[in-house]
Amino acid sequence: MSLVELIGRDPDAATLKLWLEKIPYAVYLGMEAELRDTNILFRLPPDDKLIGNASLPAIHGGVVGAFMELAGAIHLVAHMEKPVLPKVINFSLDYLRASRLQDTWARCEVIRQGRQIANVTVTAWQENPKNPNATARAHFLIAEPEIAKENSHVPLET
Amino acid sequence: MNSLTFEEKLRLIKQMGAFIPHSSGLGVELHSIEGSELTLRLPYQQQLVGDAETGVLHSGALTVLLDQTLGLSAVCSNDIAPSVTPTLDLRIDHFGIAPPGADIFATGKVLRATRKILFVDGYAWCDSPDKPIARATGTWVRVMDIDLEWIKSIGRNSA
Repeated sequence: MSLVELIGRDPDAATLKLWLEKIPYAVYLGMEAELRDTNILFRLPPDDKLIGNASLPAIHGGVVGAFMELAGAIHLVAHMEKPVLPKVINFSLDYLRASRLQDTWARCEVIRQGRQIANVTVTAWQENPKNPNATARAHFLIAEPEIAKENSHVPLET
Repeated sequence: MNSLTFEEKLRLIKQMGAFIPHSSGLGVELHSIEGSELTLRLPYQQQLVGDAETGVLHSGALTVLLDQTLGLSAVCSNDIAPSVTPTLDLRIDHFGIAPPGADIFATGKVLRATRKILFVDGYAWCDSPDKPIARATGTWVRVMDIDLEWIKSIGRNSA
C-alpha cells in the first residue's frame, strides 16, 4: 500500500511506524514516533552519519530541520479530518543551541488548519523540553485552490 | 580586507568537508565559486526520497543542502574575515519540487555582513539557476574569527 492509502486520522503506534517506513527519507534519518496521551512524540536517535560538526560533535542543523519538518507534516496528517499528503509551502527555523549526538525529540502543534492552508509549529529538544534546541513554523498546502464561480463571493479566509 | 583568495576558499571548503560527515556521506560537493556566490551540488539518491511513489526528494534534503550552502557562503564571505558562524535562523520557501532523478544545486551569497551578523540569501535549482525550486534566507552569527594563517597553510603541502 502507498502512503496515501495508509494515512488516516488518529493513528495508533503501529500505524505511525508503518507511515514512517513508507517514507525513505524518514527511514534514512532513523526517525521514530510514539504516542504520548493524545500527542505524538517524535524521536531522532543519534547516528554518526547525521553529524554536521565533527569537532563538537553535533548533529547537522539541516538534519534537525528536516526531522522537524517531517514531524510537522506527520502530526498534521494525524490531526486532519480528511487526511491528504500536505505540501510544504515554507518552513522557518530558529536554532537555539547546537544539537549534540544524542536523542533529539520533537512535538508539534497545529496552530490553524484552514480549508487550504495549515500552520504548524514544531519544538525540538534533547534533555529538557523546557530548553529547546530549535523551534520551527511550517505552512502546508492541504488543498488545491477552489474555482470561484461567477458572481460568487470569494472568501479571503484560507 | 582579510577575505580569502579563490584557491584558499577551495582548500577551506575541502578541509571543512572532513568535519561534516553528514554532507560528505551524501556526496555534497562544491560545484562553483563565482565572485561572492558559492554553489554546492547534492547528487540524487533514493535514500533522500520523500514520496516513494514519485521518487521526489524530501524537502528536508533541501533544508540540509541550503543550510550548508548558505553557511559556507557565510564562512567564505568576501566582506569579512572567515569566522565560525553558527546558524541563527533559516527560512525556506518552496516554489516547486525537484524533478525525480535530478541532482540539486544550491547557491548562496552573503547579502550583508555586519560586525556580528551575516545576512545570507540563496536558492536551490536543478536544470537552471534561472528556475529556482526553492528560496532560502537566513542569518549567521560570527562567534569567533578563524585563524587566517591556518587557513592559508591548509592544503599547501598537498596542493
